[in-house]
Amino acid sequence: MIFAVILILLALLGAPLFSIIGSSALWGFHNADIDLQVVAIEIYRLADMPVLLAIPLFTFAGYVLGESQAPGRLVRMTNALLGWMPGGLAIVSLIACALFTAFTGASGVTIVALGALLYPALKHAGYADRFNLGLITTSGSLGLLFAPSLPLILYGVVAQQVSLDTPVSIDDLFLAGILPGMLMLALLSAWSIWNKPPQHTQVKVDRKEMLAAIKDAAWEIPLPILILGGIYGGYVVVSEAAAVTAVYVLIVEVFIKREIPLRELPRIIRESMTLVGAIIIILGVSLASTNYLVDAEVPSQLFETIRTHIDNKWTFLILLNLFLLVLGMMLDIFSALVIIIPIILPIAAGYGIHPVHLGLIFLANMQLGYFTPPVGMNLFIASHRFNKPVMELYMASLPFFFILLFAVLVITYWPSLSLFLIT
Amino acid sequence: METENHRQSVCRPIRLLHRIEDGLLVLILLSMIFLAFGQIVLRNVFDTGFIWIDPLLRVMVLWIGLVGALVATRENKQISVDVLTRLLSPRQKAISQIITRLFAASVSGLIAWHAFWFVIDEWGMGDKAFANIPAWLLEAVIPLGFGVIALRYLCEVVSGIYWLIRGHES
Repeated sequence: MIFAVILILLALLGAPLFSIIGSSALWGFHNADIDLQVVAIEIYRLADMPVLLAIPLFTFAGYVLGESQAPGRLVRMTNALLGWMPGGLAIVSLIACALFTAFTGASGVTIVALGALLYPALKHAGYADRFNLGLITTSGSLGLLFAPSLPLILYGVVAQQVSLDTPVSIDDLFLAGILPGMLMLALLSAWSIWNKPPQHTQVKVDRKEMLAAIKDAAWEIPLPILILGGIYGGYVVVSEAAAVTAVYVLIVEVFIKREIPLRELPRIIRESMTLVGAIIIILGVSLASTNYLVDAEVPSQLFETIRTHIDNKWTFLILLNLFLLVLGMMLDIFSALVIIIPIILPIAAGYGIHPVHLGLIFLANMQLGYFTPPVGMNLFIASHRFNKPVMELYMASLPFFFILLFAVLVITYWPSLSLFLIT
Repeated sequence: METENHRQSVCRPIRLLHRIEDGLLVLILLSMIFLAFGQIVLRNVFDTGFIWIDPLLRVMVLWIGLVGALVATRENKQISVDVLTRLLSPRQKAISQIITRLFAASVSGLIAWHAFWFVIDEWGMGDKAFANIPAWLLEAVIPLGFGVIALRYLCEVVSGIYWLIRGHES
């Protein structure tokens, strides 16, 4: 108990999370009189999971896309196609950000790369400043539920470590995320139409620009089709789709479009692999701590305790939502995943919650955590990027918070929305 | 950010080591892309493939992950919670850094130590992983990686203490 308190204190003081998780594994095995070499053996299991290959490859592809002019082309194309609608530009922003985040894995890149293009454009179109700031901040984590986002893959990896009656496949997670993600997009789009500028000038449908924009983005358009079609069509597994994506993006942006000079590649590789390293080391030590938890039957004991207080699924889900919201404010999505999922997944399964559904509940809550005051990461990134006080961003993103909170509740209490496509 | 500057001036970057780390990242990632894509082409177009490619790719994930983690430590990009540290004064920040880095160094060092003996045991057993490559060689990245991470954090502890003593006076 004292040990746990010390660990939490150290974590709050800024100790790297891998050391916190690693020490809990060392401590647990030490108390169980198990040779601590087991920690190294568990870490070596990283070399035993074929799907992990997708993590460095997709991350690299996302970084390359972010460094190229692809974000600009994406905005241009969605604008040409949807800009004529009322609230069109705002909806364009939402869709472009969601697509971009799915590829780059909500690490704040979206706000920096796309926000710089969209914020001035929205302002120019006459949207209120506060609305624009809220929209961009929210969009930074929108798209987390769409394939091939990193958190979706990582949830699948972690869930597979916890043996369950219902196996969790990453293909299923990719499918399950589609409708809940669409729900979030639809609700935010409705809010955008409601907030359209009063002197909205009807933008004419410009077929010429439409064609030109599509032609301009012709190389990037096949990407989502390549990935999703390849996986759902059964042609490739997730890690192979990642390899194809990496090769494709590399060839297009470096050799065909020539937007990234070869000499920049080492830097892009270093930056993207730094993120991958930070995630992999946490995953590695958490394999050890998870193994200990399962060995010590912590989740099943916890379940017995909880069940004496909470007797139905719905009360459990309410408490789960509250817990995850607070967690999302404190921890980043990757650490939260590897620490919490091994514990709550068996408990949730005990209440009859489908593991894929739990994954979407978890990720949707975490998405909200990115911009929940006072400590959501994206609030600070946006504050820094647009040079606005954080207080203003709190106010600006509040309506968006309530809209997505509603979406999270729908996702939580309507399991079929997530499970419809996989059953 | 004074602490940042001091960290660099005291722990003089060992440039060669940094270069090797960066070079390894580039080398491993590009080989991964090449091998993974090559295997898909071989499998689907020529209906063949090399059995050693898949296990090699999986080991490369471990390698690139740990080398990436080395670089993340070097660039202070390990994932951590920064709720509280944001509110601290530079001096309090330096103290909390010394405590947390010392903790991280000990944990990494312990893992490296046990991983080292694990690798020695494996060496003794002489198991082969694939394509006649001894398993211990592939596993050696674990003690190496965690060892360097431990040293790096230790180095930050020393420069943090140095800053507290010297920087506080001036």
